[in-house]
Parts: sequence; C-alpha cells; structure tokens
Amino acid sequence: MNHPLEVTAEKTTERFYRRAREEWRQYVIYAGFIAIFIFFAITLSDKGFLDPNNLLNIVRQTAMIAIMAVAMTFVLSAGEIDLSVGAAAGLVSVTTAMALGQFGLVGGMLVGALTGVLLGLVNGLLTTRVGIPSFLVTLATMGIARGTGMWISKTAAIPILDRTYYFSFGSGSFGPVPVLLFWALVIAAIGHVVLRKTTFGRKVLATGGNETAARFTGIKTRDIKLTVLIISSVAAAIAGMLYAGRLHSGRFQLGEGDEMSVIAAAVLGGTSLFGGVGSVIGSIVGALMIGLINNGLILMGLEFSQQLIARGVIIILAVMVARSRR
Amino acid sequence: MWQGQDDNTINMSQAEQARVDAVAMTGISKSFGGVVALEHVDFTLRRGEIHALLGGNGAGKSTILKMLSGVHKPDQGEIRINGVLLEDNSPEAARRLGIAMIFQEMSLVPSLSVAQNIFLTREPKDALGLLDDRKALKEARLLFERIGVGLDPRRQVGNLSAGQRQLTEIAKALSQEASVLIMDEPTSTLSTAEIDHLFDFLDRLKQWHASIIYVSHRMEEIRRIADRVTVLRNGRNVMTSAVAETSLDTIVEQIVGRKIGAFERKNRTDAKAGAELLRVSNLSAKPRLNEASFTIRGGEIVGIAGLMGSGRSSLARCIFGMQRIVAGEIRVKEKAVKISSPSEALNAGIALIPEDRLTQGLLLQHSVANNLTLPLLKKVSRYGFVLESKERGIVQECTRRFRIKAVSPNKPVRTLSGGNQQKVVLAKWLAVDPVLLILDEPTAGVDIGSKTEIVEIIRAFAERGKGVLVISSEPAELLALSDRILIMARGRVVREISSEEIEDWAEGATETTHRISSMEKGLQVAIQQEQ
Repeated sequence: MNHPLEVTAEKTTERFYRRAREEWRQYVIYAGFIAIFIFFAITLSDKGFLDPNNLLNIVRQTAMIAIMAVAMTFVLSAGEIDLSVGAAAGLVSVTTAMALGQFGLVGGMLVGALTGVLLGLVNGLLTTRVGIPSFLVTLATMGIARGTGMWISKTAAIPILDRTYYFSFGSGSFGPVPVLLFWALVIAAIGHVVLRKTTFGRKVLATGGNETAARFTGIKTRDIKLTVLIISSVAAAIAGMLYAGRLHSGRFQLGEGDEMSVIAAAVLGGTSLFGGVGSVIGSIVGALMIGLINNGLILMGLEFSQQLIARGVIIILAVMVARSRR
Repeated sequence: MWQGQDDNTINMSQAEQARVDAVAMTGISKSFGGVVALEHVDFTLRRGEIHALLGGNGAGKSTILKMLSGVHKPDQGEIRINGVLLEDNSPEAARRLGIAMIFQEMSLVPSLSVAQNIFLTREPKDALGLLDDRKALKEARLLFERIGVGLDPRRQVGNLSAGQRQLTEIAKALSQEASVLIMDEPTSTLSTAEIDHLFDFLDRLKQWHASIIYVSHRMEEIRRIADRVTVLRNGRNVMTSAVAETSLDTIVEQIVGRKIGAFERKNRTDAKAGAELLRVSNLSAKPRLNEASFTIRGGEIVGIAGLMGSGRSSLARCIFGMQRIVAGEIRVKEKAVKISSPSEALNAGIALIPEDRLTQGLLLQHSVANNLTLPLLKKVSRYGFVLESKERGIVQECTRRFRIKAVSPNKPVRTLSGGNQQKVVLAKWLAVDPVLLILDEPTAGVDIGSKTEIVEIIRAFAERGKGVLVISSEPAELLALSDRILIMARGRVVREISSEEIEDWAEGATETTHRISSMEKGLQVAIQQEQ
C-alpha cells in the first residue's frame, strides 16, 4: 500500500541518531557517575578509596537516602513533592524505639509502619482533598513531625536493646555484605517494576505528565497523588527504622536535611521536578553519586565547610547537564 | 423512509443499520441562565461523511459540541448516536457510544511514548499481570498500518510536531472504537504540508465509515474536505446543504445574517493627517510570524483581521516584547527601538491591553483604585510612599471620565460587571498616556451598552493624535473601529483595506441588510480570499 501520508520508515541509523539527540540526557547520569568514580579512584588511590570497606561504607551511608529516593521518584513523577521525609524518618525512629521497649519486636515494627502511613494520609488528604499544594503541606508536616519526635522523646535518645531488631534493621551483615544493601536493593527492585511495569506506575507518570489528559482518560488523579504521598511516608518510615537499627537508638534528629539529598538524588537521576518523567534506577544511581561525592570529599581531607560548598557546586553542575528541557 | 415494506426482518434490520445516522439531534434547545444558546436545532451527521459546522462567535457551535461530548445536557430534544439515545449526559457515556473529541494537545501525556498514550489505562499485560510494552508497540504498529499513519510508536509525544500529535490523538480515539470524531479548528496549529497529510488521512478514514464533525473558519478547507455544511446563527440552524451545491458567498451570507448591531461605523476623514508613529518592517518570530510589515500614523485606528493561527496575536505580542523577535525592525516615531520585554515597550510608549483581562489585565482581588494606579505608582508616590490624596484624585477622574460604575473605588475589581472591568483596564492604561495602544479583543465578553462606550473611549484616544492597533476576531467590532484594516495570513500582512473600500462594502446594503452586516460580508469574503 502506498499512502501519500506515509513518512518513509526511519532507517536504524537515523533512529539511533534521533534517539541520541532526544534522549541522551536520560543516560548522562550514568556516565557522570562512572566519571566521578574513576576520578576519585585515581586521585584518592593512596587514601583507600577503592578499599572494599570504604565502598561498603558508601553503601551503608547511602541506603536510607536511596530508599527514600525510590519513593520520591513516584511523588515527583506524579507532579507533587514531599519535604517531610527527613523529619518523618526521625519521628519514626523515636516511635519505633519507644514501642519496641513497650510491646516488643512486632509491636515496634507495627507502630513504626503505622506512623508512616498516618503521616502519608495527612499529607495526601490535605493535598488532594483540601487542595493545599503538597509543597506547603509537607513543609508544615515536616515541622510537625520533627516537633512531635522531639516532644515525645523529651529530646533524649531512646535506646534499642532488641538484638533481632537491630540486626535486621541496619546493623547486621551477611559476611561482608551489610543488611542495609539488601533493603535498598529489594525496595529499588520493587520500585522499578511498579513504575515501569504496572498500570499504577503508568498512571503516576500520566498524572504528572498532563493531569487534564490523565483525567480525561479516566484516571483518578487525586487517588494517584494520595497513594504516592503515602508511599513516600512509608519509605521514610522504613528509612527511620533502619537509622534506629543502625545506631541502636531512636533520635528525633535522625534524617535531618535528608529531604534535600533525596530530592537531589531523584533529580540527578533524571526525574523531573515538574512531573511526568521518572526513573527509579536513576534515583538509586543519583543517591550513590551523592554518597560517592561525600565520601570522596572527606577522604580528600576537605573541611566540612568546604565539603558543603563543593557538594552544592557539583549537584548544580550535574543537574544543569541532566535536567530535561521541559 | 424507504419502500421495502415486504423485506424480511433480518434484511430490514441490516438495511436500517446501514441507514442509521451517526448522529441525529432533533429539536435541541438549550439556554444558560435565561440566555438562549440553541433553539430547536436539528442536526444530522451521516455515516462516513465529513460535515462542516460553521457560525460566528456565540452562534451555538461550541454548545452543540459540548452536548455531543456529554458536557451539557439539552433542555429539550434528543440526541441519538448510531441510533442509540444519549440518555446519561456524561463524557463517559458519550465516549461509550463512540464520540471522540480531538482536543488540541489536551488528551496526550507528553512524557509518554505514542504507544503508551494510545493504550493509556487499557495497557496490554503479560501472564504475570505486568505491562507488556512490546505487545502495545506491536498493536500500535498494526493500528498505524491499518489506518495508514507512518509514525514510530516508540517516539515520545513531547518530541512530536503538532501534526503528528494530532494523528496520535485520532489513532487513540479510533483504537477506542470511536465512530464519530469531533475536530475543532484542527488545522490552526499545522503547517501546510501537515494539513495536506491530515486531509488525505481524513479522506481515508471515511472509507472506514468514521464520521467527522469539522469546525473551521477556513472556507477553502471546507470546500476541500467537507461533504455537507451546516451554518448556525443566533442558536438556530439556518442552513444545511451539500458543499458542492453552495457557494462561498451564500455561506458567508448565512453566517453573517442580519444583525442588530451594537456597533456603528464612523468614517473619520481627518484620520490620515498625523505623522508616522509606528513602522514595523519584516517582523519574523516563532511561531507564526513571517516578515510582517505595516505602519500606523498618529490619530489612526488600524484593525488587524485574520483567522486563528494567522499570526495576529503573535504580532501584538512581539510589538509589546512578550515574544522574542527573530528578525525585522520596529520604529517608533521614525526611531528604531529594540523591544525585548514589556517594560522596554512601555518605555517606548507602547501599551497592550491583553485579550484575557481576568488573568492578564487585572488584579481581581485588589480594589478598583489600586488597579487604576498600578502603572502610575511613580506619579502618585513620593520617596516610595503612596500619597493617598493624589491617588484619590486620579481615581476620581478616571471613574468619571470612563463612567466606571462601581459602588466604591475601594471595592475589589471582581465585584464589577464585565464591561466595567474592561473599562478599568482601559482607564488604567490610558492614564499612562502611551503613544500607541494595542488592543486584543477589546470588547469580548462585554455587554452591548459597554461595547459602545468602549468604542467611544478608543475613538477619543485616537482623536488626540495617538495610534491604535485593534486585533479582533469579531468583524463587526473591527469595522466599527478601524480606519484601515490589515488582513493577516500565514504570518504576514497580505492585504490592506482602505476606508474607501469599507465604505464601498457598506453601499451594498439594501433595505433588508444592515450596513454593518453588508460590510461584514465584504470583510469575511476578503479574509477567505487570502487563505
């Protein structure tokens, strides 16, 4: 059949160049990650950067950020934002530690998870039913969560004595491999499949990409937004429980400032702040990249003040290259 | 309807099926809060036909479309789609019966691929219940092959051209078993080549028995693509005819009709006296402006006419610094000026009154007084403090001079009527005393009384030796105001109509047609001839 409309089919090479032109920004994070890794491997070779212990340390320090970044990928993809994750992690570490002392292992885990669900419901309902922008809602609940943690713990660290708990949540390891790595890998795998391979993931991307179109297609966009905000708080709760397990105690300060690292990780990984575009694997690599940079800067012997400046500059440069044009 | 009374039942139902119209609207009436939008309208869309729906602003076109897509419910009358009564008036119900409205970029998600968009919420799944993008891709390819679209379904919608996006939307509708497509001004964002593609495509769709309602202002397109045409005027169906059996003149005459106008043309003979105020040479910009040139002299009111997408709004936006100029020159009082932002335009003495006064022209929550003095803050303040006595004086003068009816100047602007709101916008910018005033749709959505007053205000402003540029999609408004009219098409000024020519059109008026109607017909025909 010869249709006048038919554009002659693209040749494979043409398609490759077009894709390279249109989509290279999606992959630039991986190249950047490798480049930074090689840079540190060469310049810091005498300071033990490549030492397996150091590399595992990076994993340990990055796991919580990575877990929260997986969920943040969903929130940003749906066109919302969650600033309360760091504070939520701190609060959950406190409630979990207190409940562990009172009701034992199962009770502690349940209370920790419930705290997360409850906070997510508050964030989600205020955003979707009352109509306050999630930026403002979660800015407010960030303070509320941090304050509640401070109040109920009377600003003290709550010790955790349950061995099973702190082995499985953060401190333990199988041989040289820390438990934290398993947590991060499992959650990343689930997140990736859900975003890429389920109707829910597709609906999240459609909601953030063009909310009107999504609604016209029959997607309940409010429910989608509510769900992603609950997912985010639950991920923050898991991160909080891991923090508590790693330090054998719940402290309200845990996770302070994490929201910024988490959002930076997701954006570095190619997730759009404006919704519609998201990559779980990108977010994981973004989180690892932030961990890598922190670790490298410490090994270089920079002062904390210099680290802050260098980290800020690197993140801005990386996002400038990686951000999507829309 | 047919004679075969003695056919057996099976044959009859088949024959009947073939003859059932895709859309049958009978005796439809609808009013909105006392304003009649449609009155006893009958409209049929036959299976496999392209039916053009025409009419001026407020003729009732969009009300009909909204009823078909289930947004509005008729007060009277019934709508049948493929013979089935549309009872439950909701967008979902209309879609179930096979109606698809092709929105412009409204129903696609730019960050997803073509295939993902087509199957959004109906994605094929594999044995594990996970999304099967490969299968979706295969089905999309099959669909594209069947309907003859040569587009790679893997491409991201955000990277497609306007025409490709439109094809994607149509494909999406067809894959949902839509049998009636509604297209509202589908070509306004397309290039000429893309329009050709679209028309070939629509022609082929007819063979698939898809029926299309086609709304457009371009007669040339209608003659090329449509089988029948229906004209609405003042909420009534005034004409339904086969396109082949009618002429451009007849159609335009039916669209214009005889109107009791709020507008009266005034021939201002001394208008050409002034010196050159604005000269635009070969102005180009993206999108839709391609070497446009014209001049305005002091005391002159110049109108710009053209269809949607002809570049009229882009021209205004460029002169006011809201759109980046790619090439060309703007001279104010014979001095070249560089305008890249509205503040630079204001410094050059150019003011723009935007089309949408609610979002672009007014701070609705703020008081009438605050709105009026916003561009004048320098005048009414000293050392950064607003002097209330000065402010009050200016506000009093404005409200008196422009007859703004407000309970108090301290009431929020949103409490005013549409006409008075527009007068506040006008007063606000006239108080700045610009050299050149650009008005985009100055009397849209304004009651008849205020329309006349606004026209008077604009004339008085020009009398003071100032220049005025009016952009409008309402021909009557342009004809009433303008000393000269420029017709735009394809991003440039293609024809200039002098005051004498407009008067000549008016001579065509007879006992039964109003002068404005007669001029309007002349202008409409002129616009269509330039397409």
